[in-house]
Amino acid sequence: MHAEGASSLAGEHGSWLHFLYQLGVPKWVEEPVLNCWFLILVLGVGLYLATRRLDVLPKSLQNFLEWVVEELQNFTVQIMGPQGKVFVPFIGTLFLYIALMNILGLVPGFLAPTSTLNTTVALALCVFAATQYHGIRTRGLWGYVKHLWGEPFWLGPVMFPIHMLEEFIARPLSLAVRLFGNIFGDDTVIARLGGVAVLNVLLGSYFVALGAFTFLVQAFVIWLAVIFALAQALVFATLASVYIAGAIIEEE
Amino acid sequence: MSYLTALVLAVGFGVPLAALTASLAQARVGAAALEGMARQPEAAARLQFAMILGLAFIESLVIYALLIFFVLMLKLPNTADVLGKIAGP
Repeated sequence: MHAEGASSLAGEHGSWLHFLYQLGVPKWVEEPVLNCWFLILVLGVGLYLATRRLDVLPKSLQNFLEWVVEELQNFTVQIMGPQGKVFVPFIGTLFLYIALMNILGLVPGFLAPTSTLNTTVALALCVFAATQYHGIRTRGLWGYVKHLWGEPFWLGPVMFPIHMLEEFIARPLSLAVRLFGNIFGDDTVIARLGGVAVLNVLLGSYFVALGAFTFLVQAFVIWLAVIFALAQALVFATLASVYIAGAIIEEE
Repeated sequence: MSYLTALVLAVGFGVPLAALTASLAQARVGAAALEGMARQPEAAARLQFAMILGLAFIESLVIYALLIFFVLMLKLPNTADVLGKIAGP
């Protein structure tokens, strides 16, 4: 049983939300997505309750949340310019949501919702839809096509397919796969290390030291995974804001 | 037999090659960032931010290789089966 645990991929271990499958959730909904619903519930209800009565002179929790929002606003405006203030909710939500989703996978008993392509492709599609919508809304349909055509008019037939490929395939795909690969890889490594550590400790006398060492390595990898979780959220939010800025900013 | 050999070689060499080239590239990013921070310590925060971004981009290329590794790893056969086939009936 423990050898099985040591040799299976991370996605095959479950979370405590597994009971939802007995309650009628269909089988094609993967378990990380159940964790996603849990996080949405906790975040939504929690933050709604936290912002019900806002004081003019904020106390501890409200102060912290205001600091978070202010930092997100600075971050977005820094990349997109002063017109980026409208996008702070979107970019800020992306950053916070993805960071919390990534870290949720490191909490015992949960799976990271971003460790499945379902979640990451959904997020990448949101960014794709946002860039296309804002680009077309700001420039008009013909203006957006001209933007994809490129600046030297005679280079258009070369740049236009490249830009189309980039906008429709390369950017969403790379966003999704980057986030998925990082988080799924981290979680897989941590699960495997844990399995190997348990296996070694259970094997016998001389293997216990190896097991203890593997536990230490796993602890270090978990710390690294926290840092990478935040970094990946930052990268996703930065790229999203850069793409939207590229779609709406008129370079004169 | 050569198909399996090629598959195993691809599984073994994919990620390490990507990691090798990515580490060289990340070393250059880190060195440039550190040099900039040493020249102008007041810009350290902005440089660090840009460095983290650059490192994540390069790392994502290794992640693509890791993805191919996961896909190919699932196509590897059982060692017991292969040894049984080699041993013959």
